[in-house]
Amino acid sequence: MKNKPIKSAFYIAVFSVLLLGPFVTGAGAVIDGITGPTFNLSVGIGRISTPDGGSVLIWGYAGGTGQVQYPGPTLIVNQGEVVTVTLTNNLTVAGTDPAPNVSIVFPGQQVAVVPTDPGVPGILTAEAAPGATVTYTFTATHAGTYTYYSGTDSALQLEMGLVGVIIVRPVSGVGYAYNHPDTQFDREYLFLLSEMDPRIHEVVEFQGPAGVAATDYLANYFPVIWFINGRNAPDTMSPAGVPWLPHQPYNIVPRMHPGERMLMRVVGGGRDLHPYHHHGNHSRIIARGGRLLESAPGAGPDLSHEVYTLQSHPGNTIDAIFTWTGKGLNWDIYGGTDVNMPHTCNGKAVGETQDAGAPEFDPGTSEYCPDHGKPFPVILPADQNMAFGGFYGGSAYMGTSGSLPPGEGGLNPNGGFAYMWHSHTEKEMTNYDIFPGGMMTMMIIEAPGVTIP
Amino acid sequence: MRIITKCSWIVALLFGLVFYGGDPLAHAGVLVQCPGDTDGSADWGPGETRPPNTKCIHLGAGDGFVTMADGKTQYMFGFSDLTGLATRPANPADAVNIIAAGTLAATFPAPVIVLDEGDEFYLTLTNVGMIKRPDLFDPHTVHYHGFPEAASIFDGVPDASVSINMGSSMTYYFKINDPGTYMYHCHVEATEHMQMGMLGNLYVRPAQDGTPFVYNGKTYTRFAYNDGDGSTGYDVDYPLQIGSFDSAFHDANETVQPLPFALMVDNYPMLNGRGYPDTVNPAPLPAQPMENGGKVTQVESALIEAQPGQRILLRISNLNVTRFYTLGSMGLSMQVVGKDAKLLRGPTGNNLYYRTNSVTVGGGESVDTIMEIPTDAAVGTKYFLYATNLNYLSNDAEEFGGMMTEIRVVN
Repeated sequence: MKNKPIKSAFYIAVFSVLLLGPFVTGAGAVIDGITGPTFNLSVGIGRISTPDGGSVLIWGYAGGTGQVQYPGPTLIVNQGEVVTVTLTNNLTVAGTDPAPNVSIVFPGQQVAVVPTDPGVPGILTAEAAPGATVTYTFTATHAGTYTYYSGTDSALQLEMGLVGVIIVRPVSGVGYAYNHPDTQFDREYLFLLSEMDPRIHEVVEFQGPAGVAATDYLANYFPVIWFINGRNAPDTMSPAGVPWLPHQPYNIVPRMHPGERMLMRVVGGGRDLHPYHHHGNHSRIIARGGRLLESAPGAGPDLSHEVYTLQSHPGNTIDAIFTWTGKGLNWDIYGGTDVNMPHTCNGKAVGETQDAGAPEFDPGTSEYCPDHGKPFPVILPADQNMAFGGFYGGSAYMGTSGSLPPGEGGLNPNGGFAYMWHSHTEKEMTNYDIFPGGMMTMMIIEAPGVTIP
Repeated sequence: MRIITKCSWIVALLFGLVFYGGDPLAHAGVLVQCPGDTDGSADWGPGETRPPNTKCIHLGAGDGFVTMADGKTQYMFGFSDLTGLATRPANPADAVNIIAAGTLAATFPAPVIVLDEGDEFYLTLTNVGMIKRPDLFDPHTVHYHGFPEAASIFDGVPDASVSINMGSSMTYYFKINDPGTYMYHCHVEATEHMQMGMLGNLYVRPAQDGTPFVYNGKTYTRFAYNDGDGSTGYDVDYPLQIGSFDSAFHDANETVQPLPFALMVDNYPMLNGRGYPDTVNPAPLPAQPMENGGKVTQVESALIEAQPGQRILLRISNLNVTRFYTLGSMGLSMQVVGKDAKLLRGPTGNNLYYRTNSVTVGGGESVDTIMEIPTDAAVGTKYFLYATNLNYLSNDAEEFGGMMTEIRVVN
């Protein structure tokens, strides 16, 4: 086999595993956002950058004294808290008309429109007039993933960027999606899926919202840029909060170790449906719209089922658990007898037989021990016959790198297994006529011992 | 058009001579790996031993032409079936020029791949090049869409691993553990290669097949999944793949123009690569002597036939790249028993099957539905399966056609 691992890296990884033994994995709270239960938001204008070099005018929510952003700040609260959101309308628009009112609706929360609402009465909810403020209050009775967006002229205002996510953490605490052990997770990531039709933004920029009314753009909607968490690929994979994307602070780079449970919070943040395909394995849909798929209260997600493509609906949310071990591949993900990559499964080296009744998975590395030491069954093509992806580390095995032609690889320094997670309406993997991009990111399963923030 | 075609042929021939050295036998990059197979044909002839539970397939990746239901010729990229062609025969005189065999042989949809739970599956992909676009040096892959517990190296995503260059082969290996309805496609420059037609049906039959189960008073030996109770038992099964083409995109590709990604709007909605009424033609569609050199490229039909009282399993998948489609049934209701290659059961066994008259399927999704022909249905009865997004019942400007097929009651 032509695989030539950079052995030192692998030894370090394996050695770390041996040293750490059954290492501890805490619940990674990596979803960026602001914690409540009291939030001061405002609405103003900003510009988002698209990877084709363009930019688009947005109306966005800003948290506190922060920048206007797309999507709005992710509001993280605890179940049972009384949540108060104060919204100030700082919007300015082109043209001679005044700026419009703005507002927030909270689907899935116990919010009712009552005559005593402060602010200006609107159709769906109370609104903030230009320069004025409105306050919303509700009790976060149920754990789960929710969205919020403008309830004023929503077709236009959501398109302009007034949308965000609310996460309600359950009473069970950190590491739980809902109040049931079957909803526990090791890591969680947010996937807010949305799209934009830049024609609308251009008209708003130069003529104000009144100009849009003179077009058919809202009726004959034609998006050409697609987002996850407010960024188009490859910007989705840049770090969060980078200075060159001041109005798009959130990224999406899912990473995990074999055997871990990843909670995917998938939110339909635009007006279209999106088939979100996550390579690597099925996920189990445990909740929709912030409600556990259970047959009775307390039963846990016993009505959940597994999919390989999440059908995301506008305005709705999905919570799904993704896990991966490589079980049943019939070859050893860390390298078999065909290569010299020393590692153990249940304490047995490559070439040694497992004890009768040994656990299926190694407690430290989550390796599937029945495949331990099995060689890779085919020969890969010679280097000159292949094209290499930037996320290919030069080896078919996890946690190891191999030789690559000059200029290849480099995006997967730990030799993890990389997978594309993207809209399977493949047209949505473009940025305004340029492929690749759009609603796409890369997920990496890292070898045990590789630190994941 | 004809002048352009002929010019392209000459360019392609010259290109082929230069690139492949004019030697029909020496293609060092073509390598078929299949256990027990000695002549590189990806199957087992006399003197060759097939190891138990082993399946091999040799696919070519290249280009070709198909005919739409309104008669329009469409340039496409696609896969061809090269299984059975010896690439390293004992007698060199028996050698086949694999590149020539795969040239302009792309089929739509791609050859159906049928696997059984427990199989060891070796798929060799040979990139034969796209002879109508000699300016393109595109590699290709096969992505086994939905395979659980997948390893990156065989997942076919060029960004995440490797893809195969022109004139060379890569062999993918899988142990098949999970029955269900999957699909396969090229993942290189996915929006383009998939719009251009590198799409096919792939499904895995369960280990429960062959074990009799009585369900509703009838005995079944074939099932969609390992249900344990025969509730997914069927008499006949059909893979049915939703797809659609944007002819402007295909024409731009054929004529080496900038590709309209943003403006992509599909105008040829299809089932198994055909628009109605071609969908109900059980035969392969005629070859195009001019464009394809006589190679038959549309083998798969979308006609569904069953006898009175029979249960039909439809393995519905969607690989179009532009939108969701809803497939409705007229006259027969569907019971959805599977989604995305998983039996619709909760983790503790709760039955999540449901009855419906339509299923909404986005790109990259699949559903398994079972329909029963009434026992008293007269032979000759027709039921319809069609896109209830009714504007997609068309072949471009031609009414009435598109995404529709018939379920016919036969003897």
